[in-house]
Amino acid sequence: MTQAVLDKEAFSAQVIACQETMFRTARAILRSDEDAEDAVQEAICTAFAHRDSLREAEKFKPWILRILANKCYDVCRKRRSTVDLDAAGELPAPETDHVQRLTLWQAVLSLHDDLRAPVALFYYDGLSIREISRVLGISEAAVKTRLSRGRARLRQLLDEK
Amino acid sequence: MDRFDEMMKERAKNEPFPLPEGYAGRVFAACASLEEKEPRHSRRWAGWAAAVLALFITVPNVSPTAAAAMAEVPVLGAIVRVVTFRNYTYDDGQHSADVTVPELAGSGAALEVSDQVRAYTDRLIARFEETCEKELGEEGYLGLDVSSTVVTDSDTWFTLRVDAVETRASGYEFSRFYHIDKATDRVVTLRDLFREDADYVTVLSDEVRRQMEERMAENVEVSYFPEEFTAIDPAQNFYFDADGELVLVFDEYTIAPGSMGMPEFTIPADVYETLLKK
Repeated sequence: MTQAVLDKEAFSAQVIACQETMFRTARAILRSDEDAEDAVQEAICTAFAHRDSLREAEKFKPWILRILANKCYDVCRKRRSTVDLDAAGELPAPETDHVQRLTLWQAVLSLHDDLRAPVALFYYDGLSIREISRVLGISEAAVKTRLSRGRARLRQLLDEK
Repeated sequence: MDRFDEMMKERAKNEPFPLPEGYAGRVFAACASLEEKEPRHSRRWAGWAAAVLALFITVPNVSPTAAAAMAEVPVLGAIVRVVTFRNYTYDDGQHSADVTVPELAGSGAALEVSDQVRAYTDRLIARFEETCEKELGEEGYLGLDVSSTVVTDSDTWFTLRVDAVETRASGYEFSRFYHIDKATDRVVTLRDLFREDADYVTVLSDEVRRQMEERMAENVEVSYFPEEFTAIDPAQNFYFDADGELVLVFDEYTIAPGSMGMPEFTIPADVYETLLKK
């Protein structure tokens, strides 16, 4: 069933409600806070321009996250030829002393590129396998595989049994 | 959900998340600057039209022979010619499509490829129209762009590449390659290169997987899905590059994240040459 197109006020309220998830998702895919913020800004503009493609208002969050993920992939695609080797792949876990343990977000950021976004969406935002699959544009089998790898790595990093 | 997942979700909920300073204000400002526009409802169907002049066919990596063919100049000795372009456009202010593909002539194989390209693009257009009308109706956003390139046009070989991009919020790129062996005037797919008893699928798949892992080991920015890649399609897209080397091409998202675009793998001849037809 179709619904009325969101007006600017309603759209903005929805964006603000999921702004943290948007930043986290973008940051999980991209390598810097600045790139992540840029992607969020672009996603907001694109989503607003095409907000009439949102058919169910309650699906706003996965809908705008899908747009955001594609914006992030576009950034990755453009930067493919200029690789920063110091900031790529699985990052070393930040140095911490024995008393201060890693935060979950520090551990997530040290995961391999492919694992960060599925792990963040699963643990922080409670998205289902299917929703993650749609947001990231990968198969449900791929989501399960990556969550499994991410879980194993987090166990090591966080020393949780 | 196991205990570990529960613990992680609990930590995610309880640990403060480090948003950049001023982020919320910038999001608010971005929302405040959005401009509402009146929805557009005009609709224009141009449909298919044969066009003598193509607007945007590009011909990178192509021989002068091919360039001449694209300009509709008959080429001495050539049996494959681009005789015209078929163009389909649609624009209702919201959804848009622009499809331009060549029509070939000059030989039986050229006509066969022409028919295949027509059938393929007709299917893409039907899918586009169906999605516009049924799935998204007046409230969706969908784009379809199809263009083509002559990759090779030598005395013995002709390859046409048809590139498509389907766009919703972002694009999905995929391509089809059509090959003609001019010496035999036959349309060729990957399986036609190899002997019937040759397990070329396994051999080429193993090489692709090896290269994926090698590239990922060399460059941590590179990412593929080796664990999800089972095998190439028996009729996998391919072309021969300027050095005559076999290059396998994969559609976006099939074996790698979208950030990797359409991955290509150049297969050394010594990997498969014993499997080729004599």
